[in-house]
Amino acid sequence: MAARLRIAGLLIFLGLLIEGLTLSWNSPIAFLVFLGIGGLLIAIGIVFFLLSLVSPSIPQ
Amino acid sequence: MPVGFIYAIVIVTIAIVAVVALAPGLTATRGGKILAFLALFIFPILAASLGYEEHMDRSKQTSFCLSCHLMEPYGRSLQVDDATWIPASHYQNNRVPREQACYTCHSDYVMYGGIKAKWRGLHHIYAQYLSNPKPPLHLYHPYNNRECLHCHAGSRSFEEGATHNADPQIMADIKSNKMSCLTSGCHDQIHNTTKLNEVKYWNPK
Repeated sequence: MAARLRIAGLLIFLGLLIEGLTLSWNSPIAFLVFLGIGGLLIAIGIVFFLLSLVSPSIPQ
Repeated sequence: MPVGFIYAIVIVTIAIVAVVALAPGLTATRGGKILAFLALFIFPILAASLGYEEHMDRSKQTSFCLSCHLMEPYGRSLQVDDATWIPASHYQNNRVPREQACYTCHSDYVMYGGIKAKWRGLHHIYAQYLSNPKPPLHLYHPYNNRECLHCHAGSRSFEEGATHNADPQIMADIKSNKMSCLTSGCHDQIHNTTKLNEVKYWNPK
């Protein structure tokens, strides 16, 4: 669970970082980078988080 | 939406994501679970949605369209000092919002017209960077009167115009797009990029 949360957090963090950078970059490429990389990372991070909620914990 | 607010949401989200990612043990408690849900679900969706809206708004800006080198002559054509040049007269007289001039006339006014315009925009980005398009550019489809009538239908100058009413069939043909506003010899000075070196330019004070 903790590892999955860290991975989800890292993916969302990177996605948000890219979003922040593209917001300060006024170019058509910024739109593509935001959608294709930033949005994708955020989406995968959210999916990872949701999967961590429904997946059984690995016994220690 | 002010871009500063979006930055604030992004920064707050990054901060709470960092808290959850660096101390996942917090999620053992009820409050920690709520925090994780906010940090890894609600706030990222909020931040991404706001960012998406901001990027979509920017992509409607005239400056956004003209940022591609290929569009530069089309931008110049908006400054031509000749009232018969349709895009120039619309732009200079605020018949379309100047900051969204391209988007206003080049969106189809039908359901999903804006989405189709964005989809074409993605193709334009591909064309700009990965192919080698040469001017003059051509529309994907002949310009539809519907885009003109979106504003002009019902206006006095259009409805009572002498030429438009010279024959009842003319008005019917215009409204049904059988007779093009632009290519039937009436309003045919459009961007005309091949003549940009032969015209005078408007110099706003």
